[in-house]
Amino acid sequence: MTKTTPAVDLSAVVRAFPSVRAVDGIDLTIERGETVALLGRNGAGKSTTISLLLGLDEPDEGAVRLFGTTPELAVRKGQVGAMLQDGRPISRVTVRELVTFVGRAYPKPMPVAEALALAGLAEVADRRVDRLSGGQVQRVRFALALAGNPELIVLDEPTAALDVEARRTFWESMRGYARRGNTVLFSTHYLQEADANADRIVVIDRGRIVADGSAQDLKRRAGGTLVSFDLAGRDSGWLDTLPGVTAVEIRGERAGLRSEDSDATVMALAGRGAIRGLRVEGTSLESAFLALTAGEDAIAETTGTTRLTAATDLMESL
Amino acid sequence: MLLDYLRLEIRRTLRDTGFVVLGIGMPVLMYLLFTNLGASGDDAAGYKLSAMVGMAAYGALGAALGTGGAVAEDRSTGWLRQLRVTPLSPRQVVTGRAMSGSVTVLPAIAAVLAAGALVNGVRMDAWQWTVLVLLLWLGALPFTLLGLGNGYRLSTQVTGIANMICTMGLAIVGGLWFPTELFPGWLRTVSDYTPAHSFADLGWSTTAGTAPGATTLVVLFVWLLLFGAYAARSYRRSARTV
Repeated sequence: MTKTTPAVDLSAVVRAFPSVRAVDGIDLTIERGETVALLGRNGAGKSTTISLLLGLDEPDEGAVRLFGTTPELAVRKGQVGAMLQDGRPISRVTVRELVTFVGRAYPKPMPVAEALALAGLAEVADRRVDRLSGGQVQRVRFALALAGNPELIVLDEPTAALDVEARRTFWESMRGYARRGNTVLFSTHYLQEADANADRIVVIDRGRIVADGSAQDLKRRAGGTLVSFDLAGRDSGWLDTLPGVTAVEIRGERAGLRSEDSDATVMALAGRGAIRGLRVEGTSLESAFLALTAGEDAIAETTGTTRLTAATDLMESL
Repeated sequence: MLLDYLRLEIRRTLRDTGFVVLGIGMPVLMYLLFTNLGASGDDAAGYKLSAMVGMAAYGALGAALGTGGAVAEDRSTGWLRQLRVTPLSPRQVVTGRAMSGSVTVLPAIAAVLAAGALVNGVRMDAWQWTVLVLLLWLGALPFTLLGLGNGYRLSTQVTGIANMICTMGLAIVGGLWFPTELFPGWLRTVSDYTPAHSFADLGWSTTAGTAPGATTLVVLFVWLLLFGAYAARSYRRSARTV
């Protein structure tokens, strides 16, 4: 195994269940040392992807490699740690006992005290896991993922049960672990989390990857900037011919133009004197995400009206 | 690694109040009650001895099956799934579970035997005590497997009920609570082929100073195979969903 072997390599992976193709042809390579967010709505296929990646489930098609080998072997060699979703606390065992046990299963664990400190558990180390609060249990799970000091940690919706403050401390710990040169993959349906904590965001929707890049890349891909102004009785047929415009949405008297080149669009509007109530807004990551996951029908639509409507529906569903 | 797992699971079992009270306390209490209420005369000493073996076997039976309850719980909490993403192999996990199950039958055996020796004044040769503990310990393996079979297959609640029914049913029919001499003839015949009766018979032959009979050994071995196959099937079935 060389340094260049990627930590994670999924190629054309498919996993179908009777009612749904949960993972529908995913290609994903994660280099060592990267921190990657797997972003998607509930039911987008994140957890299935993670199960396949950890060898907890087998793909129907395609191949999953971790560090150039099978997930099972990588796990057996202690290269992987994971924080799984939906677990309840393990009964009748203290935090320290549990973290020590899991750490010792790995070839080169980190000192128990360090794992406990990193996960923010030093003060409750001798309490029983089944007597901790929900947030503390979540941190125990995080400690179990990193106790063995694995090269790759995989976190499935790590902050799902946490309040705002607990979330903040959790991400601090996670970044601390990533800074040591480890590879981190986490799934989330919170945009801000992905934006703030990952080098790279992989957006997954209906079992497919719909975008892969930095937060900036995603914003660019979703159509850059929104230019809007009052039509003031004008006809709107000419708007989609303006330079830079990729989509047009008319709402009553107001026209919204999605533009890849807002300067050129604004200049052209000014040239026609259409500048009443003119507003130029950068696309937020939020609307970028919504645009990306709005689905095939909406993306095929060139006027963008459907796309924005779909995005609004999604906004409500999120 | 396996030893660490074994230690962890034994620790968790011994911290289970239900296990300590019901699994260890119950057989001792029943033994002391049965042998000190009503039993008197010439038979008393013999009854104290045979009931000691019966109740120790009952305690071991309950503890062994109880392993299944713990497995069902670990499945539902996601602990088994978490173990699958550690370097511990599935084989080590199952082996560790079976071994921890075997170890946790010892406290019940020891407690009833101690009650026999210290409270009821049961006296035997040193080798008999040693062999008795050893045989009851090893002989409990089929029941550990039966428990694992239930635990890997059924939900936590259903496993609890199934284990209780198995424990009571096997203990009563096997003659662990009341001697089979009190049974009607047909039930006595049935009893001879039940796993619990063969299991306890290992102990009764030891206290009688003889080797276990061939029938006893064969019957118990057949049950070991059956329960082993059941455990293996349940485990394979659960491996897909854990």
